[in-house]
Amino acid sequence: MLTSDTARSVIDHAVALGADFAELFVERQLRTNISTLTKTVESVQSGIEFGIGLRLVFGTKVLYGYTNKPQADELKRIASELAAKDRRDPRVTATAFDFRKLISKHSHRKVLSVDPQIDDKVSFLLAASDAAMSSGEAIHQTRGTSLQREQQVTIYNSEGLHTEDTRHYVRTVMAAIAQDGSEQASGSKDMGGLAGWELADQVDAKELGLEAGRQALVNLSAKPCPSGEMPVVMGNGFGGVIFHEACGHLLETTAVAKKASVFHDQMGEMIANEKVSAVDDGTLVDAWGSINIDDEGMATQKTQLIKDGRLTSFLVDRLGSEKTGFDRTGSGRRESYRFAPASRMRNTFIEAGSDSFDDMIASIDRGIYASHMGGGSVTPGTGEFNFAVREGYYVENGKVQYPVKGATLISTGPKVLREISMVSDNLSLACGMCGSVSGAIPTTVGQPALKVDNILVGGNA
Amino acid sequence: MTIEKISQDLFQWLHDAGADGDLVVSDVRSLSLKALDGALDEHSVNSGRTLGLRVVKDNQVGTAYSEATDEDSLRFMLDQALTNARFSEPHPEEQIRSVAQTFSDDGARINPQDDTPIEARIDFLIELEAKLLSYDNIRNVPYNGLSDAIRQQSVFSSKGCSASMTTRQQIAYAMPLAAEGENTAMNFALQAGRHFNDLDLQSLIQNAYRNSTSLLDGKPIPTGHYDVVFDHNVQAQLLSAFSSMWSGKWAQDGINPYRDKIGERVFDKRLSFVDRPLNVEGLGYQVFDDEGMATVDTTLVTEGELKTLAHNTATAHHFGVETTGHASRGAKSALNVGLHQLHLLAGPDGADTMTQGSWLKVTKLDGLHSGTNPISGEFSCGASGFLYRDGECVQTVRGVTVAGNLYRMLDNIAGVSDKMLWNDYKSSCMASIRFADLAVSG
Repeated sequence: MLTSDTARSVIDHAVALGADFAELFVERQLRTNISTLTKTVESVQSGIEFGIGLRLVFGTKVLYGYTNKPQADELKRIASELAAKDRRDPRVTATAFDFRKLISKHSHRKVLSVDPQIDDKVSFLLAASDAAMSSGEAIHQTRGTSLQREQQVTIYNSEGLHTEDTRHYVRTVMAAIAQDGSEQASGSKDMGGLAGWELADQVDAKELGLEAGRQALVNLSAKPCPSGEMPVVMGNGFGGVIFHEACGHLLETTAVAKKASVFHDQMGEMIANEKVSAVDDGTLVDAWGSINIDDEGMATQKTQLIKDGRLTSFLVDRLGSEKTGFDRTGSGRRESYRFAPASRMRNTFIEAGSDSFDDMIASIDRGIYASHMGGGSVTPGTGEFNFAVREGYYVENGKVQYPVKGATLISTGPKVLREISMVSDNLSLACGMCGSVSGAIPTTVGQPALKVDNILVGGNA
Repeated sequence: MTIEKISQDLFQWLHDAGADGDLVVSDVRSLSLKALDGALDEHSVNSGRTLGLRVVKDNQVGTAYSEATDEDSLRFMLDQALTNARFSEPHPEEQIRSVAQTFSDDGARINPQDDTPIEARIDFLIELEAKLLSYDNIRNVPYNGLSDAIRQQSVFSSKGCSASMTTRQQIAYAMPLAAEGENTAMNFALQAGRHFNDLDLQSLIQNAYRNSTSLLDGKPIPTGHYDVVFDHNVQAQLLSAFSSMWSGKWAQDGINPYRDKIGERVFDKRLSFVDRPLNVEGLGYQVFDDEGMATVDTTLVTEGELKTLAHNTATAHHFGVETTGHASRGAKSALNVGLHQLHLLAGPDGADTMTQGSWLKVTKLDGLHSGTNPISGEFSCGASGFLYRDGECVQTVRGVTVAGNLYRMLDNIAGVSDKMLWNDYKSSCMASIRFADLAVSG
């Protein structure tokens, strides 16, 4: 890693160049990834990543560089090169480091640096695979992956911050592929969290595999999806990707500060149906999107984004705070030392309501029940978003009729937030990877099942 | 320590352990700039190296990588790779092959000397933003950038492979937010080349302005079935999302729908696909693959008939054929298969056929990363573009979805244009396809 003395000399050098703020992000990460193909171990991979990201801020201009070399000379060279066009007399004085470290409340008993637990993981994946294969004759293959990583970060800055954290992540995915003649369909189920491999003790591998197999079989039997504007009930858990795409990204100061978000000037206003309250909570124990500190060294927090339909907070990182005037929310995140931090989501979800799921379905004359969602994307400036339905059903006369395939949902964030008319009480969360300006980071999405009165369904019927 | 010395040490230690192996080394140096409100907003200068080691011992394969190159880290990486190999199923087909050739192509064609001063690059970017903002209906340009990256890719093996190639890629892009009344629209324009002088500022400004503002008055069209032509960038993105259809690895794993179709007509007769890694006009130019094997042009489909899939040495051995030079392995990943520069050859149809009657030109397709299923061929994505009737644009289209099954669509087309175009990333070169009767929801 990097010694404090080396960090001190680099920070001092950066401040002497005239930087208003200087920061070092030191990262060492271990990874192991196991892949299975039905009954066999396809591959086992592992690696070490190490690097240092150096961020200098002049006014609101960000200068960023990274290297794999932890020597002071190399880091000072990068600082000098970055600041070559901005060099000026020092404006601030670097403060002495004050080391502080938060105690992690997330479980970390079976950690990668002690034992990669390869035998255990292989057994788990093969048990899940066996279960998936047993779910129906049409299942002809499974693919399993088990990823574990251990990310150690140390952060220093010119305001005297010196902190560190170790993050343990596990994620396991089982996918099943069903086949009928030339037709193929897939299904998957995953588990993951900010924890050691002991998280697997809470998960039944057999259930994981059976769920993947069940979904593949449903999709194999699915009919082309009807299309057009219609009501849609979105299932709980990963259904929360709708909020992530339709609203979450638009509340990041990365977009707000550039006025690239449709919500940039709507703080305190009603932006959603009054039944909608939403949070971004980095404090949930063992949750996939949780953190102890963000990648700027600030303790994480629970941030109420929307309360009863009214916009109450953005997601604010250091630069976002300087540019917008809103307080930081501990939301500065990055994939690795290769990226400058940006305001990003953590565990983001719509809070539970009081409507019943059965009432939602019963209220639909002709529509879709999207029980499982895939990923999506958004154009922040216009709020236009899209996301895929991974498992869906046609609903008619208040009853679920048959499974459908090839459906996608499109709308705009402001419109869909107002079209949410019912929110149920069955809140659940799901793991995802979110890609944006500071790379791909673990985020949790979530929601209770909810009904959107009118949204465009793209289908192939 | 030089990379040659590192590889020599690693292969000696491997030899001592009774194993073979190969080493992929990825070196990147890059500069990137972003502008906001008339000034430079972000300036990033980076360099990094990643080593990826694959070992084969007793027919078992393991991989490991490291971003550190001191001896302790190298030995740790090697121990990890050997440990990982012990857990993998025997793969007798995956071996380290002897390679007779040595490659070293870092010529000026693909890695030109470029001493453009940083000031000129900053001026380019600030002018890009300023010119776009000078238009009344451009509200801001929140996403823009200019980058210059030099990548050296090297492959060494214990069986004599020594291959190295350095490429340079420079990219400029802008995504302005257009606004008129209550209507807003954003779309992307990009240019890519090897030298800064390849980037044409005025053309980029015009494209970014046109791509965003032209969608301002867009509205949905009635739900129905339409003939659809994806513009050259969108068609490249769509086919790339289904690139596993060419994969010998997917065929070996039993999930490529074309695994048993070699020699059969699988697409419309007007379609011929060739992978051309040695077309130096493209930025995907590649003289060797990630196993160090020489690349060659590979005819995948001729007049609708599937000639071959893309193979690395392991998948080729599995099917009893020769490798096509399509091994794909990053420093942090296992051996796979990937195309280099897909070409769809010009077809027989001129503008009359391609533009007759009513058809939808799609210039923006949203959600390709999530709305496509390479297993089944299904896709459903948000779309924007223009509705044409008898050569006239009759409506700007937004807020619709386009859905279909690509594998069936390629056998149900209404035309293949007689012109080929590179996409803006210069990663593929294709004639346009007019797809018949796609489901459009509005």
